[in-house]
Amino acid sequence: MVRPAARPGAHLALQSSTSPDAASPWLTRPASVRKPRCAARLTAGIWVLCSAVVFAAAPVPPAPPLSLRWLPPADGANAAVEVSGLGADELRRLSAANYDLPHWQQFFKVFAEPKGASAEGKLPPMIGAYRVVGAALRFEPQFPLHPGVTYRAVFSPGWTMDQTSASTPLTALFEVPAAARTATTRVSAIYPSGDVLPENLLKFYLHFSAPMRGGDIYRHIHLRDAQGREVAQPFLQIGEELWSPDMTRLTLLLDPGRIKRGLRLLEELGPALEAGGSYTLTIDRAWPDAAGIPLAADGTKTFRAAPADRTPLDPTRWAIRAPAGGSRDALAVAPGEALDRALALRLIRVFAAGGPEIEGDVELSANETMWKFVPDAAWRAGDYRLVVATTIEDLAGNNVGKPFDVDVFEKIDRRIPNESVAVPFSIR
Amino acid sequence: MKLTLPRLAAASLALGLSVLTTHAGVTAGMTEGAPALKSVGPLAFGPDGILFAADTKSAAIFAIATGDTKSAPNAAQPLKIEAVNEKIAALLGTTADQILIADLAVNPASRNAYLSVSRGRGPDAVPVIVRARLDGQIEVVSLAKVMFSKVELPDAPVDRVVSQGKRQSNPRQLSITDIAFLDGRVIVAGLANEEFASSLRAITFPFKQAAGGTTVEIYHGAHGQFETRAPVRTFVARNVGGQSQLLAAYTCTPLVEFALSEIQPDAKVKGKTIAELGNGNTPLDMIVYQKNGKDFLLMANTSRGVMKIGTDGMERAQRIESRVSGTKHETFSVEAIADWKGVEQLDRLDAANAVVVRKATNGALNLEALPLP
Repeated sequence: MVRPAARPGAHLALQSSTSPDAASPWLTRPASVRKPRCAARLTAGIWVLCSAVVFAAAPVPPAPPLSLRWLPPADGANAAVEVSGLGADELRRLSAANYDLPHWQQFFKVFAEPKGASAEGKLPPMIGAYRVVGAALRFEPQFPLHPGVTYRAVFSPGWTMDQTSASTPLTALFEVPAAARTATTRVSAIYPSGDVLPENLLKFYLHFSAPMRGGDIYRHIHLRDAQGREVAQPFLQIGEELWSPDMTRLTLLLDPGRIKRGLRLLEELGPALEAGGSYTLTIDRAWPDAAGIPLAADGTKTFRAAPADRTPLDPTRWAIRAPAGGSRDALAVAPGEALDRALALRLIRVFAAGGPEIEGDVELSANETMWKFVPDAAWRAGDYRLVVATTIEDLAGNNVGKPFDVDVFEKIDRRIPNESVAVPFSIR
Repeated sequence: MKLTLPRLAAASLALGLSVLTTHAGVTAGMTEGAPALKSVGPLAFGPDGILFAADTKSAAIFAIATGDTKSAPNAAQPLKIEAVNEKIAALLGTTADQILIADLAVNPASRNAYLSVSRGRGPDAVPVIVRARLDGQIEVVSLAKVMFSKVELPDAPVDRVVSQGKRQSNPRQLSITDIAFLDGRVIVAGLANEEFASSLRAITFPFKQAAGGTTVEIYHGAHGQFETRAPVRTFVARNVGGQSQLLAAYTCTPLVEFALSEIQPDAKVKGKTIAELGNGNTPLDMIVYQKNGKDFLLMANTSRGVMKIGTDGMERAQRIESRVSGTKHETFSVEAIADWKGVEQLDRLDAANAVVVRKATNGALNLEALPLP
């Protein structure tokens, strides 16, 4: 009757019982009351499946008993729940029916029943698709079932058939066990990697070893001073949260309103960082990864704040060390200060003079103060261009030719018109 | 959440017949099918039940004809859905901590509220649009077969894959912080996750094949004489003396005004900062409404609650050009609405009411209609 679970080593337990629910097809009692008993002790980590069967009043000739059972996820398909024992006419009618979701839910509905929900008992049934498969009516949830949640299917025969047992609904429970909770995800890197950062630092990049859970993230991130006092609201808390698409990197912006400007202190909260101070950025281990498992350890970075950097970047003054022709040695560029890591990796490119872009691998080292480029093919002697997009930033958000803070009332027109700056160099 | 011009909806409703005729116009260029949303964030409504949904992962705006164009009758009770997050989670077969509600927008044609929801909080989260009907029922909006169109944002972050140590990646992404529909254009505020630059784009609707968006940098005077490129958090559009204006709220709550006509390709717009509403605070959402013949703004904030801002006198506000101590708004009124606690999402329901999503004392999120203050 029950299809074996597809998972190796999984066990199923089943007991038939008459549902204790009688009168109403709209079941509103707590699950603990109506939960059918499971037959066997179940091994941790397996699908738990309980089912209920109702025997209709014996007609002549005897009809097969109606039953409601869960089909565990298998072969890439989500879990489903199906009603067996429906008559051929009934199945034909249901197969041809073009019901909308509310109509199906009048007699066959499935509830997700999370523990501790404040609206318990008032939660609507979940969405999914209803269809006749073989000799059964099946409900397929639209989304995969969630570990740790009990799902309750309720089928009210009376809505589809003229049977004396019409008012006796069938129920079947299904629970996906909570996943094993071995914490393995870590903060794998925090950039900038230097331990002396300008007091007008604009952002951190937090890298994680696995995808993380988004939403309500700022409570897991703390900035504390040397005395361990928490710096109040240092970050720009935006609901959109600046994640990389795979959610392994978070861009954490310091609130531009909390960045110290000149000698003037900001009102109320004051600046987040002040030159001379020592600070520790802490990522709480309580932060769950995308699988809902907390981090294996806190992530921390301690640094000292240096005076503000308000100088625009000028690639024409960067030190370029050209490798020898015929080699695949790295082209090394030293900007004289640390660059924003993500932008330095993406916005500095190498072109043959008047020719195509040179392909290769980029690496940043020495606390993002050294940019190196190893070409895929050996260097040919000749002239080249290092092309730097003007939107590249240093640690304080200064661009090429434009500081982060622009005093627009005097200098609104002070802009670099080009989108990039080309710096020539030669290889011999 | 963004309403745009309240009068637009009112006009559409008043001209009952024109709704049908307009409808053919707004679906021009749309195709029937399932819009492939990779994520869903800010929402806004255009005319005739056209829902604009911002998809940050695709760096695109979808326009979806909801077909929800009939005004719902008033329910016996004011709209209130308790624990709406738990109920949406139940619809989606999961738990409340596994969903995120990104935005709320009321369809002015029907007064049904739409919520953008992520089922899941990791990279595999599934975007879902949920409709909360005026009668208190919630349902998932089926996107299996709808008329829709899509426009990709110019400067979408696909410009270059970085190869570092033979690993190919491009983690750059553009976050869309707010959208609105105004005068036939979708206005999009965005922020990249690498370059620190706030941008506004105006995209003509119906969308053209080539995405003719424009990028505008906004400067505003705050934190002393200096300007920053702080991102626009939320904005509303309003009509002042026949001119369309955007009022943008930035982090640290400066309120900045500029004319919509200034949003031109590659223009550098210098916004006029007309108010500083306090430090250490981030605006969440903003609507504009009328009461007793006057325009008001309602702004929900992270730490300063809900503020009611009278627009009377706003036109006389001087450009703020010097450092502001605390708050500054000399020519118009700003009033804290103490009763509206915990508001996280906000939109205008009709002429007299707003819809909010707000956190109750037990931590659950309630969706409810509240009379406009």
